[in-house]
This record gives sequence, structure tokens and C-alpha cells, in this order.
Amino acid sequence: MMELAWLIPSLPAIAFAFMVTLGKRLPNWSAIAATGSIAVSFALFFFVFADWLGAKSFPHPENYTFVYSIDWLRAGDAILTWGMWIDPISLTMLGLVTAAALGIQVYSWSYMAHEPRFTWFFAVHSLFAASMLALVMADNLLLLYIAWELVGICSYLLIGFFYDRRSAAEAAKKAFITTRVGDVGLLIGILLLFVETGTFELSTIFAALAAGDLSEGIVTGAAVLMLLGAIGKSAQFPFHVWLPDAMEGPTPVSALVHSATMVVAGVYLVARIFPFFEASDTASLVLLSLGAVTAMGAAAMALVMTDIKRVLAYSTLTDLAFMMLALGAGSVTAGMFHLLLHGFAKATLFLGAGSVSHGSDKTDIRDMGGLRRVMPWTALAFGIGALSLGGLPPFGGFFSKDEVTLAVFLIEEPYRWIFLTVALTVGFMKALYMGRLFFSVFLGRLKPENEHAHEAGPAMLAPMLVFTTLGAVGGLLAFNWTDGYQGFGYFVFAGDHQEAFHPNWWIAAASAALAVAGFGITWLAYVTGSLRTDSIIAKVRPVHTLVANKFYVDEVYQWGIDQVMLRAGNAVAWVDRAFVNDIGVNGPGIVTEKSGTKLRLLQSGKIYNYALGMVLGFLAVAVAWWWAL
Amino acid sequence: MDAQAVAFAIVAVVALVSGVGVVTTRNVAHAALFLLVSLASVAGVFILLVAEFLALVQVLIYGGAVTIVLLFALMLTRAEEFSNVRSNPQWAVAAVAALGVFGAMGAVILNDRLDTQELRGPSLQELGGELFTNWVVPFEIASLVLLMALIGAIILARASDSDEPGSGG
Amino acid sequence: MELYHVELLSAALFALGVYGVLARRNAIMILMAVELMLNAVTINAVAYAAFLDPGRLVGQVITVFVITVAAAEVGLAMAIILRLYRVRATANVDEADTMRG
Repeated sequence: MMELAWLIPSLPAIAFAFMVTLGKRLPNWSAIAATGSIAVSFALFFFVFADWLGAKSFPHPENYTFVYSIDWLRAGDAILTWGMWIDPISLTMLGLVTAAALGIQVYSWSYMAHEPRFTWFFAVHSLFAASMLALVMADNLLLLYIAWELVGICSYLLIGFFYDRRSAAEAAKKAFITTRVGDVGLLIGILLLFVETGTFELSTIFAALAAGDLSEGIVTGAAVLMLLGAIGKSAQFPFHVWLPDAMEGPTPVSALVHSATMVVAGVYLVARIFPFFEASDTASLVLLSLGAVTAMGAAAMALVMTDIKRVLAYSTLTDLAFMMLALGAGSVTAGMFHLLLHGFAKATLFLGAGSVSHGSDKTDIRDMGGLRRVMPWTALAFGIGALSLGGLPPFGGFFSKDEVTLAVFLIEEPYRWIFLTVALTVGFMKALYMGRLFFSVFLGRLKPENEHAHEAGPAMLAPMLVFTTLGAVGGLLAFNWTDGYQGFGYFVFAGDHQEAFHPNWWIAAASAALAVAGFGITWLAYVTGSLRTDSIIAKVRPVHTLVANKFYVDEVYQWGIDQVMLRAGNAVAWVDRAFVNDIGVNGPGIVTEKSGTKLRLLQSGKIYNYALGMVLGFLAVAVAWWWAL
Repeated sequence: MDAQAVAFAIVAVVALVSGVGVVTTRNVAHAALFLLVSLASVAGVFILLVAEFLALVQVLIYGGAVTIVLLFALMLTRAEEFSNVRSNPQWAVAAVAALGVFGAMGAVILNDRLDTQELRGPSLQELGGELFTNWVVPFEIASLVLLMALIGAIILARASDSDEPGSGG
Repeated sequence: MELYHVELLSAALFALGVYGVLARRNAIMILMAVELMLNAVTINAVAYAAFLDPGRLVGQVITVFVITVAAAEVGLAMAIILRLYRVRATANVDEADTMRG
């Protein structure tokens, strides 16, 4: 079965092709094709997974990876291949992406039912899933880059789905251009490795890295350059600005973007090229620092945002930064585990948020409250998702957060305490903003204008509840259940500290206590009302203003674009017009035109003139020949 | 000066004088007749060079066929202008260029005399045997060339409605 | 009669042909000049066969082919001239100057 894994991304891609070609003629078949193909892919994943379990041999990690590739193109010595790379990381991603795409498509059936561009939505959704699946299975960096850019263009199309709305078009453009800045870094990094090793294939590159064929500068340079692409896709500081605006897309798109595709692609890339970060302390430190900065900033912003989807967006930023922290700390296990559980919880939350705005036509959390009375199932799902992501035991999010914190705790001095403080603080803030979001939306008093709000239909609830369950019990994956499955740490194994597989009760207790404290404080503030948030805000007014304005990062970028980029662009444009266009291009054109106007008079059209030219030419040759003799 | 040399001098002068007539006369019909004389003189040169068969062919094909075709063409086109065709404006330069060509070739000829053998020609049997043994493939190809020229001439010269004077570009 | 006499005759006829091609404006006359040039060439070929070639044959064979091709050429050229005359009502080559720059 494993050699048939290429079918997993191919089926949704075929469905995409079907929908864009025949979708207009067979409108009723488009959603069926999309969901059917992703469902088959999902089923195939299990076969591949079972096959992999049978084929690998515990406990030798080097046998965990299976590569199948075919030659695609030969150019001189360089052989380009298409291939699949199946290891625990890609298997985790395959499962998450197919599950999330399937659930979200089922949800979209009713959520998007009244959209005029229903077929287009499902078509791009399928391509999105297909390219993400291709991305996580790519065995070489070129294929990975192609899929990477496909993911980017699909996110552009989906964020800009309501392209007749200016803000949506702007958000799509912003997402595309911001990620593109990072993608340039990724491309340069890939090409740097190609120049150094002569191949795009991961296995060869890793072998060269392990053999020490790459100098330290190259390793660090390639790692940091590719990290640029990763933080662009994963919306880490300083490229985080696009993700909150990406809310302009339909909610199922946000669910997919935030849980399983697009933003996790960056985390996946770092995990995939993890040996580079293992080999370069500098790159790891860069990764850690970016993660820490993003986590703190994004968690602070999530605390003050009032739009339900924006809070979720900033919480995604925080969690992605958490994964980056784990990877920077050297634990692929923790990073992938958090990625998986965050994916389930975030899918739940976004589908829940979609259900809320679908049912109540509101997006601002200050206009909500008490919605559990009118949409109890959504409240249940959303609540479990929020508690899980907030890191409250025994939900899944607690375990993954704990693993990340533990990984950070195992960083060597002198950075250990800085990053551990960051991780614990962010863990606390996660509980705070998740508590704030859930309590102020679903608990408390139901406002009169929200009494007409209604619960979503079963097609929307079912996937939501499935993701809820997965997110709630997913933490159990961390434990050693049988001899074949000795915990997630043995499953996704990339040379972590052995210590990391054993729970550290101090860390666990501290992070659980902080989560309880966070939810407790928000309970007091938003449910009982005994804690006045207004007075707290009044005391830290300047800080609140700073955070509520998103640290003015957007403004700084806008200033940079207006003052620096546009001016430089105008200067370059002038050079282009004056030198390249007027002199370089039009110059030869004018010379040719003028000389042609004169020279064409030589073409008399009279045949004897031409014949005379021939005879004179013959004579000239004859005379020259005579002299030369 | 033997008889052969006298004969050659006569035919050469006739050929040249009538050649000058071909390229200078203003009347196309006269030019065609001058051409006939010139080609007949060339046939005479062939006889002096012991190539009787070629002389015969020359008279038959050039004198008989080619000149007749030219005269037919004159007849078919009935152009009044044919009786008074002036040279084009570059005739003076053309004369200089032609003299240059003659000078170049003459210089080569006089500068580099070749060692000649006794003047002798093949028999007709030899020529025929050579043509139908060693040269049979080019010979057959030549017949194809003639056939295609025939077909092409028919297609080109066939009248069609769009060919009326003044209707073309 | 020496070889170079014949060669000079051939060169003179050829130069006359060149002049005719360059100086005439009537297509039929140009064609006649071309015929002169062809004949100059055949004279040369026959003369070389008679004076130089031990087998005495190749020059004559080539002359046969030249005459054949000349006949074909005249036929085609006349057809083209007739066509030109029908379209343009003239046989003057300087009036067929659509290619003028």
C-alpha cells in the first residue's frame, strides 16, 4: 500500500481538475467529487499507516523512513525526481490534513450551501488539500517548493473568495505578498543546498549533512533561509501580519488554514529539515527567539481582540510559535504533537465560531453572551476545544503544551530559564484568552437581540463534534499503550532527549496550575463579574492601547512601504524608463527605424538592380582573389 | 593560317556580332532572330570542336525549339512596346560591369594557358554508350525535370478569370 | 585554333549575356541574354572535352544536360512572362516592382 501513497494527494487534485472543467455542467457533482476524493484519501491513509506499521522495525529510527521516487528530468548530471517520503512526521501530517479537510468539507456542505460560487469553493478547497498533502509527502525540496507555492496560491484564492469585497481582496493580497517575502528566503535556501550538494533530494542532503560535507556557515545559512519561508507561511513575527486579516475568507477556509494546511506547513518544514537545526545552534537560537517573541506578542494581542475569529487567529499565532519553540528546543516530538492536537482543537473552535456567526450573525464577542442556551451543542464543542487549547487537564491540549514546556525546560543553559519563563507565561495567557473567549460568548446572560439565534444543522455539528472528541482525547496518544506503540515520543522520533519522554511532574503541575488559574481569573471576570476588567484596563491604558493596535506593526510596515518601498520603486522605475526603456529598448528601435527608412530605398524592386549587385559582387570577389593569389 | 582557323574566325565573329545585336537591338523580334544566328554560329563552333552531334542538337533545340517558343510568346502577347524596347537606366554601369567580367575571365585565360592535347572528339556510339551507362540516372532525372517544367508551364500559363490585365496587384 | 581562342570567344559571349541581363528591361530580352550565357558555358565545356579530357566525353555529356535544362527553363520562363503580361499588361521587369522598399 505504501507505494500507492501518491494517490492520497492525487485524488483531490483530480477532483479539482474535474470541478474546474466540468463543474459548470455538473454542479451537483462537484461537492460529491471533492468530499468523495478526500474521503478516499483519508481511507487510503489508514492503509498506508497500517502498511508502515508492519514494514518498519522498532526501535531503529533509521528504518522509519520509506522513500519511493521516480526520475522525472535529467539535465546533465542533475537528476530531478518525484517522490514520496513516508515517515512518522509525514504520516502525522497526512492523517491530520485528510481528517481536517474531510470534516471541514462536510461542514461546508451546509455552511456554503447558498454561495453562488459553491463549486469554485470546493474546487480550490480540494486543490488546497492536494497541495498540502503533496507538500508533506515530498521527498525532495523542489517538489516541496512547488507544493509550497501551490498552497500559497490556494490560500490566496480562498482568502479572497469574496473578492467583490475590498477588504477580502486586500487580505488575500496581503497574505500572498507577505508569505512571498519568506518564500524568497526558502527558494534561496533550497538553491544554496542544490549548489552545495547538487541535488534536491532530502535523503542525499541529510547524508551530506551527517557526513559533515557542508560547512557550518552553509548549514546555518540554509537553515535560516528556509526558516524565513517557514515563518512566512506559519505567520511568525515579523511576517505574522497576514494571518489575522485572512479571516476575510469563509470560516471553513479559516478552519482549514489554521488547523491543518497553510500555517502548519511552516512548522512541518522546520520539522522536515530538522537535522539542519540540530546541526546549527545559531539557527536553533533564531528559531527559539522568533518563537518566543511571537508567542508573547500574539498571546497579548489575543487577550484584547474583540472579534471572535481574530481572537482565534492570534491564538493560532501563539500556538504556532509554541510549536516553533518546541522545535527550537530540539524536540520534533513535542512540536508535531502540539501541531496535531492544536489542529484538532483549532478545527473545533473555527467550526464552532462559524456556527456562532452563522446562527447569530454576529462576530464581535462583546455582542454575545449566554449563547449556550440557544446553541448547546456548539457550546459544548467550543467549550471543550477552548479548554483543551487553553491547556486544562485532562484535555489533549494540556498534554501537548506540557510536552512543549518540558522540551523548553530541557534547553541547555544559559537560555533555559528565559525560554521556560516565556513558555509558562504564554501557557497562562493561553488559558486567559481561551477562558475570556468561551465565557464571554457562551456563558453569562443571553442578550435579547440574540434570542433568535439558532443551533447549526447536523451536517455542521457532526464534524465539529468529531474534532472535539479527537481534541479531547488526543492527549492519550502521548502514553505508552502497547509494545507496538510506545507513546508519541517513540513514534515521532528525531533524536530527542530521552528525558523528554518521561513526564516531569514539576513542570506538569506548574503548567496545570497556571491553566487553572487562567480559567479561574476569567471565570471571575466574565461569568461572576466580580473582577472588573475595565479597571484593570484603565490601569495599564498605554499598554492596552499598544496591544490593541497590534503593536503598530501594520503601521510600521505601511510606513515602510509608503516611504521606503514606493520611493525606491519610483527611483527604480525612473531608471527603468530612462535607461532601460528609452535608451536600451527604444534606442535600438529608433536607430533601426531611421536607418531602415533610409536603407529601404536601396530595395528598388527592379530585378536588374539586384542582378547588377550580384555581378559587381562577383567582380569584387574575383579581383580580391586575383590579388591574393 | 589553316582553313580550320579561318572557319573559326568567321563563326566567332558572326556569333559575337549577332550576340551584340541580341543585347542592343530595340526590337524584340529582331533580337530573337539575332539570337538564332548567334546560336547557329555556336553550332558551327561545335562542329569545329569535333562535336557534330551536339551541333545537331544545338540547331534542333535552340534554333528549332527555343527560338520558336520565344517568337510564339511574342505573338501571344501582341505588345506594341516590343518593337521599341529601350535599355534600362543602368545600362552604362551594366556595360562597365560586363567589360569587367570579360576582363576578369580574359585575364585568367591568357595568364594561365592550359597544355592541350590533339583536337579530337568522341564517336556518336561512344557518347550514346556513355549517356546510357554511366550517366543513365542523371539522364532519367533530366527527363523528369523536363516533365515537371512542362506541367509547371501549363499551370502557369493557363488562363484564369482573375488574370485579366489590371486586376492583379 | 587554340584552346584559348575558344575560351576568349566563350568569355566574350558570356560578357555579352551579362550585359544583356543587366541592361535590358524587357523580360524576353533578358531571357535571350541568359541563353547567350548558357551557350558560352557549353562552348567552354565542349572545348575542354575536345582539347583536355583524355576520354573526350564528359564535357559533351554535360552539354547535353545543359541544353536539356535550358529547354525546360525557356518553357517555364515563357509561361511566367505570359502570366506577368496577363496580370500587368507588360513584359517590362521594372514595372513588376511590388517588392520595392
